[in-house]
Amino acid sequence: MNRSWYNLIWINKKARLGIIIVSSFILIAAVGPIFFEDPNAYIGTPLLEPSFVHLFGTTGQGQDVFAQTIAGARSTLFIGLGTGFMIVLLGLIVGSLSGYFGRRIDNILSLIINIFLLIPGLPLMVIIAAWLPPGPFSMMGVLVFTGWAWQARVLRSQVLSLRERDYVNAAIITGESNIKVIIYQIWPQMLSLIMASFIGATVYAIGAQVGLEFLGLGDVDKVTWGNNLYWATNDLALLTGSWWTFVPTGLCIALVSFGLTLINYGIDEISNPRLLSERIVKSRLPNLFNRNGSTPVARELFGK
Amino acid sequence: MGNKILDINNLNVDFLSEGASIHAVKDFSMHINKNEIFGLVGESGSGKSTVIKSILRILPAPGVITKGEIKFKDQDILELDESELSSLRWSHISVVKQKALNSLNPLLKIKEQIIDTIRAHEKIKTKDAMERCNALMDLVEIDRNYLNSYPHELSGGMKQRVVIAIALALKPELIIMDEPTTALDVVIEKEIILKILDLKSQLGFSLLFITHDLNLILGFADRVGVMLEGELVDTDTAEIIKSGGNNPYTTKLINSIPDVSDYSQTKADKNEPELIHVKDLVKTYSRHSSFFSSDKFHAVDGVSFNVNKNEIVGLVGESGSGKSTISKILTKLIDFDGGQILFNGKDISCITKRRDLLDYRKKVQVIFQDPFASLNSIHTVYHHLSRPILIHRSYDKYSKKQRDQMVKKEIIAILKEVDLSPPEEFLYKFPHEMSGGERQRIALARVLLVQPQLIIADEPTSMLDMSIRMEILDLLKSLQVKKGISILFITHDIASACYLSNRLIVLKNGKIVDSGIVSEIINNPKDKYSKLLIDSCESGWFINQ
Repeated sequence: MNRSWYNLIWINKKARLGIIIVSSFILIAAVGPIFFEDPNAYIGTPLLEPSFVHLFGTTGQGQDVFAQTIAGARSTLFIGLGTGFMIVLLGLIVGSLSGYFGRRIDNILSLIINIFLLIPGLPLMVIIAAWLPPGPFSMMGVLVFTGWAWQARVLRSQVLSLRERDYVNAAIITGESNIKVIIYQIWPQMLSLIMASFIGATVYAIGAQVGLEFLGLGDVDKVTWGNNLYWATNDLALLTGSWWTFVPTGLCIALVSFGLTLINYGIDEISNPRLLSERIVKSRLPNLFNRNGSTPVARELFGK
Repeated sequence: MGNKILDINNLNVDFLSEGASIHAVKDFSMHINKNEIFGLVGESGSGKSTVIKSILRILPAPGVITKGEIKFKDQDILELDESELSSLRWSHISVVKQKALNSLNPLLKIKEQIIDTIRAHEKIKTKDAMERCNALMDLVEIDRNYLNSYPHELSGGMKQRVVIAIALALKPELIIMDEPTTALDVVIEKEIILKILDLKSQLGFSLLFITHDLNLILGFADRVGVMLEGELVDTDTAEIIKSGGNNPYTTKLINSIPDVSDYSQTKADKNEPELIHVKDLVKTYSRHSSFFSSDKFHAVDGVSFNVNKNEIVGLVGESGSGKSTISKILTKLIDFDGGQILFNGKDISCITKRRDLLDYRKKVQVIFQDPFASLNSIHTVYHHLSRPILIHRSYDKYSKKQRDQMVKKEIIAILKEVDLSPPEEFLYKFPHEMSGGERQRIALARVLLVQPQLIIADEPTSMLDMSIRMEILDLLKSLQVKKGISILFITHDIASACYLSNRLIVLKNGKIVDSGIVSEIINNPKDKYSKLLIDSCESGWFINQ
């Protein structure tokens, strides 16, 4: 533990690749739209194939697909990361109160969590999204409302186990207030779980958001990845064989989710020493390593 | 090969890491003769478990054997392939692990587990297998009816016997026992060891017995090896080790074996006023025995005692005796179901307001058993020690800078007091950068900073290595005398309780079975259980009886 945690994440190859993928998309989302005045502008003949003029071709309306793919990143990632943050924050607060105080508070909050877990998410999402005025904050609201309970349940169980640790009891006996015990003693110990929850919630939020927009339940005037797919279907992309109208957006969504998942794998490896040590032995002794086998005898490593 | 059944030469084991490898075992050589008991002793982290896992080649990643040979009879275990190894394991060398509960599958009946073990190595008819099961149960003296029971229906001692029966199932020539009695209380420990010795004389196997308890192993081993930091520093016959060994470290270990005759002679002043008075304390937990009913379990069952000012009272009991429950009740971490606790004459169940609770916490503090668990691994020493100061002193009137200076000064003073020098170096250390003894001193410093009237020391030395236990006990004692604090010393180890305390209370199954001045209990125990506890401090006590 001589290295700080961000250093640990960075030296993990999976996590590093994930960070590079995700941060390059964030960079594109931040600066990309500056170079395109209006991604919705009708700039050419509809359904042009990819060429040097229009890198990804044009849509059924004659808009530039490349510009729309870049522009869509901003809204989709903003809502995705924002929703992930809100879900974890809400889940962390509810889960901590429930797990730390136990008894009646836990009974009530667990009941609420369970009710939310039992509600079928997708139909509820569709109904609320159709009912609310379209916009990024309505979208975030819908996703948080239907997605927080699972994270709350996961974080609650972790708080429940950390609450019994001696250092928590020691802090209580020293006279620390409950809120300070939660914030300073318990939360820092579950940082890797919080990070993993955040990433999981973000992947969920991006997927669900794209799905809702694809169904036409988002703000269809805005350029987002979900709307790109919505318009592609509307313009009968599959019937006309114009694959370039949906493949770039679809690839971007897949890549971002892939990058986030890689970060999650990396965190898992760092916080689970068994996975890490198996990987080390495998890389140093590729011929001898056998997961369920006997301890390898590697005389060539002696003294090294 | 002659008489040797196991012969280890220059064994080296590394733990690979992304940086430099850690050499966990260095040039380890030893041998075990036929029909011999070899005791391997070492403190936690000395590498003894790594050695036995290497013998069976079951050391998990990132462990790698880098040098040496492990000869079992004529075979070098390090040269065997997977199939040869699996026919060697259990049928020639078997293992009994520390926690019997973890070695038994809770979902299988005892007979299924024994038959599974036999069938993994031999083709055998069910009828013959049942006969073998019956014979094994007779061997370890458990009623044959228990073959149809599940592990949770057996007591701790019976489970350990079943594990021994499974280890004997294929009549191995060598049995490795890894702390087989550590989780058991002395009465059961005695039975199990006597049983092992009896089985050994009947069946004639060799025994490699691993333990941290030098006192125990010296009672029955033929030869003893002492491990320190991955090396075998001493090995000789039990008699020579007992008389001090060939290495200063062995001598230090021998000298740190607790001795009940070394009890505290200081008698507490009878005129001191009473600090805490516990009367008929009861705590029950309900256990769900089936879906509809639950039976009550009395963790603490009508316990009454008192602690006076300026006095150390030892509360001795084994796991399950209710001593930890008492400590949690006294610190108001949990409520109690019956009886009364008066602190300075005031009933502590009346404390409900946060301010009153804080006031009580200022007076009653706890030192926990495991110093690694009681310090938060992400906070520095400075953080741990600044909190009690900031909570209990009214420093709010000072500016932040003044306050920081005062806090720092106070922390340095207390670090000096708990003998951590130079104190400045410890300020920004994290728990994992310190040894167990240093961590326990930090935990003690945190408690002292609150300036309590009563310290509840809940097994403060049991997780520490034997060689530093005494240092911590001496420190506790000197600070108690200096500051006039009362201590309730909770322990399973009657020798250290005698060493430290003025008075003793012996607890069993939630009830007090004996109490009084230390010298009275030592020389004239009223209860046969306390006599047994005292006897168990003598090496080889169970054989001489």
